[in-house]
Amino acid sequence: MNFLSRMSKKSPWLYRINAGSCNGCDVELATTACIPRYDVERLGCQYCGSPKHADIVLVTGPLTARVKDKVLRVYEEIPDPKVTVAIGVCPISGGVFRESYSIVGPIDRYLPVDVNVPGCPPRPQAIIEGIAKAIEIWAGRI
Amino acid sequence: MTDSLVQTLSVLFAAVVFPGGIFAITLGLALKGFDRRVFARLQRRVGAPLLQPFYDVLKLMTKRTLVPENANLVVFLMVPLLGLASMGVAAAMIPIPGLYDPSPAFGDLLVLFYLLSVPAVMLMLAGSASGSPFGGIGFSREMAIMLAYEGPILLVIVSVALKTGAALGQPICLSLSEIVRYQQAHGAYLFDPWMWPAVLTYIAFIPANLGISPFDIPEAESEVLEGPLIEYSGVALGLLKLTSAVKSVVVIGLGIVLFFPNGPEGLFGLVVFALKCLVITVCGVSVLRAAVGRMRIDQAVIFYLKWPELLGIASLALVAMNL
Ligand code: SF4
Repeated sequence: MNFLSRMSKKSPWLYRINAGSCNGCDVELATTACIPRYDVERLGCQYCGSPKHADIVLVTGPLTARVKDKVLRVYEEIPDPKVTVAIGVCPISGGVFRESYSIVGPIDRYLPVDVNVPGCPPRPQAIIEGIAKAIEIWAGRI
Repeated sequence: MTDSLVQTLSVLFAAVVFPGGIFAITLGLALKGFDRRVFARLQRRVGAPLLQPFYDVLKLMTKRTLVPENANLVVFLMVPLLGLASMGVAAAMIPIPGLYDPSPAFGDLLVLFYLLSVPAVMLMLAGSASGSPFGGIGFSREMAIMLAYEGPILLVIVSVALKTGAALGQPICLSLSEIVRYQQAHGAYLFDPWMWPAVLTYIAFIPANLGISPFDIPEAESEVLEGPLIEYSGVALGLLKLTSAVKSVVVIGLGIVLFFPNGPEGLFGLVVFALKCLVITVCGVSVLRAAVGRMRIDQAVIFYLKWPELLGIASLALVAMNL
């Protein structure tokens, strides 16, 4: 088991959930993968299309009332062990959407958040640091 | 009695350890690692470590395997096993020049041709058994593109078999070992201008069969969320990844055997074989993948029915003219 968990630590696959984000954070997430300066692939990460392949979930956005059920359902579909990273200030407090009638966040009322990466939007370096922390937490759960 | 036992054991060994099974998995994953690294370097990124595909597969072994509620359980879980098994046998049928000659018990080129289409059929089954609409779309796309590329590859195989057969004084030669031996003695087909249309057709066939951009349409992760693979997780997904790794060895290895099997004897032949695989992966897969975007399914089907099919017919005609 020890060998397997040491090897798995090198292969965290990322999955993005957009819980009503303004897209600013999602663009930054794409930046961390697509721009040579901020390559997350060197940590072994890979964005995957299906939640069933994911290890680390990146949630962006303030969790609007409309997407709440869908987000929770997609979250359920991610096989254990998984780690949740909240990207941007929106999932933490609602950010610029705070106290809006359409917001049911903050997100940690519904999902167990392991790492918060604040910023509006956070810098790619901060996102990569958040992912690196998430990998540490994830390694403890395998 | 003991003879047949020894033969059974050696066939089993070939399919499970060398050159099928374990050896092909290792080679396939290593090629994939190189491919990812070269791809990243072409985009001026650092890229994943060379051993990344190994880590990925080991990781998938530790994950939970989920089966969707409306999936067909038996088909859903059998598909990855059948795919890997068929590819293990197919890899054992590829001779490694100077080192390994497949036992005649495996059958000939035609059996290999059928085995080559098994993973695609398995992917279709996976897509339809998963009960997901994206899986269904992946299924129909996989089927369309498979119908388009099977024709040209059959034409290539027949051209090579006819040419070798004519040279050996038979109507047609379907034995891979004979094809390798003939080329070892009389020079590779790669350097024979009459065979160039066949070589080109084979090069065009590689990306479609391996599901590489621009023909990764069935598994396009940004449109159909990895299509047939969408509902797979854990060990089952790991087995599917292993299948695709072995498949790349089989497809590239078959290309080497058909057109350029020349190499030294013994263990050194293995090194040369692996190097050839590496060169084809880098030139034919990584560079192509980095250079082009994804086609639409109709464009891909029309492309295959037009150019590779025409080239295949041309190569068959050239071979028939020279008989
Ligand atoms: S944190 Fe800022 S950039 Fe990110 S989703 Fe919220 S408002 Fe947009």
